[in-house]
Amino acid sequence: MKTGMLRSFLRTLLVQASWNHDRMLGLGTAHALEPLLRDLPGGQDGDRYRDAVGRGSQFFNAHPYMASFAIGALARAEHESAPPEHVDRLRRALAGPLGSLGDKLVWAGTLPAAAGVGLFVAVLATPLAGAVTFLVLYNLVHLTLRAWGLSAGWRYGIGIAKALAAPVLRRGLRVAGPAAATALGLALPPVAVWLIGDLATNARIGVALVAILGIVTARWIAPAFGGLRFGLAALAVAFLVGALWQ
Amino acid sequence: MSASIPLVLAWGTLVGLDLVTVSQTMIARPLVAGSVAGVILGDPLSGGIVGTVLELFALDMLPVGASEYPDYGLGAVAGAATVAGAPDVLGIGIAILVALSIAALGGVSMQVVRRLNAADVRTHETAIDRGDPRTVAAVQYRGVARDAARACLVTAIGLLVAAVARLPLFTLGSAVLMTVVAVGASLAAALSGGLRLSGGGLELRWFVVGLLAGTAWIALA
Repeated sequence: MKTGMLRSFLRTLLVQASWNHDRMLGLGTAHALEPLLRDLPGGQDGDRYRDAVGRGSQFFNAHPYMASFAIGALARAEHESAPPEHVDRLRRALAGPLGSLGDKLVWAGTLPAAAGVGLFVAVLATPLAGAVTFLVLYNLVHLTLRAWGLSAGWRYGIGIAKALAAPVLRRGLRVAGPAAATALGLALPPVAVWLIGDLATNARIGVALVAILGIVTARWIAPAFGGLRFGLAALAVAFLVGALWQ
Repeated sequence: MSASIPLVLAWGTLVGLDLVTVSQTMIARPLVAGSVAGVILGDPLSGGIVGTVLELFALDMLPVGASEYPDYGLGAVAGAATVAGAPDVLGIGIAILVALSIAALGGVSMQVVRRLNAADVRTHETAIDRGDPRTVAAVQYRGVARDAARACLVTAIGLLVAAVARLPLFTLGSAVLMTVVAVGASLAAALSGGLRLSGGGLELRWFVVGLLAGTAWIALA
């Protein structure tokens, strides 16, 4: 089973390899689940193995890292001969909570927190040092979540809700938001000063005016416009104005 | 520059794969993608500056759920290729214009890959539902190959656009204005992202505490 767990863990890294709107993580889940199913009664030629792989490939959506919890739990449920409808119900029941937990813990917590620290270090030392710091901090959480999720899922099976109520996860959820907000807030002033360091006073005033216009647009005028579109539109205008001005 | 092209293409392919398809260890974040591209191209600082500015843009949007987001990593690689070895910092604005355009193209290309993945799944639906592990694995690996081709192609387009942008097409006025606008717009994106992330409760207080601490650090440094 240890080899199966290792294979399964490595395959969780590909859980979104064939991501599509029809089944979302379904195929990735079945692919990661498969090594844990090889020793089901009947082996790889048996009906139980094939049925379990087929069930695993149905529609499933969750946060990609947290999907490991579901993969371990589904494999355990198949080993415990849970009825197919119970396995399907488990998969459907896990999708929402795992998606929500991952969004809060990773996308709205760990990612911006690590990015904030990385940006701060980029200004303090070098951008490359900032990038390395970001990667180390982020992947400590990322890889731990994937590995722990798989082993907790395997340990608890259908009772996986116990693992999702673990104190460490609850604490993580409490800390993630404030940590991200603080790290981002801490990084922004030094990054701004670093970026405008070589610019003349008039240009610095220009940076401030564009920033204010961008925030006003994003907050009140056209919240759906987004930073990318605002940036592209503003750069296009700057190009034209600069060309005419010359 | 030309000697580094195969390495930049390889790096771009890895960066593009990391965005969604393989591992998501976040080498696709622009701070990482741009800094490493800068090292490959022999100009770590310029690559790092482009990566930092693009990282600020990337903070505007979190990759929550099945959201469609720009491929800022590939944008950062193209931006680094635009500005690497350029004579001064004024090239940053032009590099960011290239980077944002390639990021948008990368986001659109990701949707094409997702549609092709869906078509592949539909073609092999019977074997997948029957639980044939070889078909499941084959669809998965074809998804990886498809995304690798996408990432390599978008990187190649980025390098082409970067080569054109390095021609003396821009006036000094355009270059200065574009740098001012790029930095201003990136700061606006990051601040808007920070405010959205913080909401209106406890997190907002922590965001303000962070901003004050960052400002104090500047005053003391």
